[in-house]
Amino acid sequence: MARSKPRASQQRFVFILVAIAIVGAGALGYVATRPKPGPVAIDPNLPAGTAEGYLNGSPDAPVKIIEFADFECPACGQWATLTEPDVRARLIKTGLVSIRFFVFPLPMHQNTWSASNAAECAAEQGKFWEMHDRLFYTQDLWNTQATSSPDKKMKGYAQDLGLDASKFESCYDSQKHYPDIKASAAEAERLGVGETPTFIIAGKKYPGNIPFDQIKKIVDEELAKLPKADTAKKGAK
Amino acid sequence: MVVAMIALVGLFVAMYLWLYKLGVIGQLSCSIGSCETVNTSKWAMLFGLPVAFWGVCYYVVTLVTAVVGTTERFAADRRMALALVLLSGGGVLFSGWLTYLELAVIHAVCMYCVISAVLVVVMFALTVTDLRALPRG
Repeated sequence: MARSKPRASQQRFVFILVAIAIVGAGALGYVATRPKPGPVAIDPNLPAGTAEGYLNGSPDAPVKIIEFADFECPACGQWATLTEPDVRARLIKTGLVSIRFFVFPLPMHQNTWSASNAAECAAEQGKFWEMHDRLFYTQDLWNTQATSSPDKKMKGYAQDLGLDASKFESCYDSQKHYPDIKASAAEAERLGVGETPTFIIAGKKYPGNIPFDQIKKIVDEELAKLPKADTAKKGAK
Repeated sequence: MVVAMIALVGLFVAMYLWLYKLGVIGQLSCSIGSCETVNTSKWAMLFGLPVAFWGVCYYVVTLVTAVVGTTERFAADRRMALALVLLSGGGVLFSGWLTYLELAVIHAVCMYCVISAVLVVVMFALTVTDLRALPRG
């Protein structure tokens, strides 16, 4: 009889632990599986911005994608290295899609301005996209975790890409493109972009890393809305 | 017993942050929010693994120790009570360091980190009280 009280207390203890475990697992399961928010329409009456970004693809492509990305953001790096090659091969090279890239440096990434600066200086020599790719593919070699002084890396990438080293270094050290980077970030703020990557496709804002299949589906839906002659001309597959 | 319950709650908080870091929970993106800022900073990694993962390990060890400490065999064992004081005390020191980083270095405060810090402080107070209540020798 003397033992029944501690045993009851132990049972209650186990019961409470199990209850906490069930509630905790349920809460985690809910947040992991709840549907993500859908795209948000951009207000078409917003005043125009000043930044132009960098275009990849035909300016006449029927579907235009705008991308806002931070060179140091891991999610942007993942999109650039895993999804973008498919987008380029299957949508941009076929003339269906163009991507206009705007850099959007986020405050918590300490080396992102150096990377953005490197991309701008590479753009001066016509190699923005080459630097864009190099930065994303080597992100873990120059990001905040890797180094507190990324300048040497950036200058090394310029050399690897065959850029004129003295021109690049002069551009990079002068930071003369910082106002352009600020203008690009202002474009993100103008359109209410709060995270990277964010894509704007046909006037709708898609925040976060979106897989190729979803992009293809959106592009197909947009192509279906176009007059048939346009779509046939572009050879949609 | 209460320490075990708190450790279990802490385990779920740390699991949430770990799954978030892995991209399982939430949008796979970088954004300007306090938890995002903290979780994507260089201090969110320790020995090559997310700090949240170490948090999960810490709470598992604390939970197991606390549960074992409630069994009849160890309920009056000062060594077990002392182990819990050391574990929770270590948690307080580590959380204190993380809170310092959030306030003074990262300049962002993640609510879930604050919850975890509060949990370890409460655990520490409880384990010290338990240890002092046990007879010496």
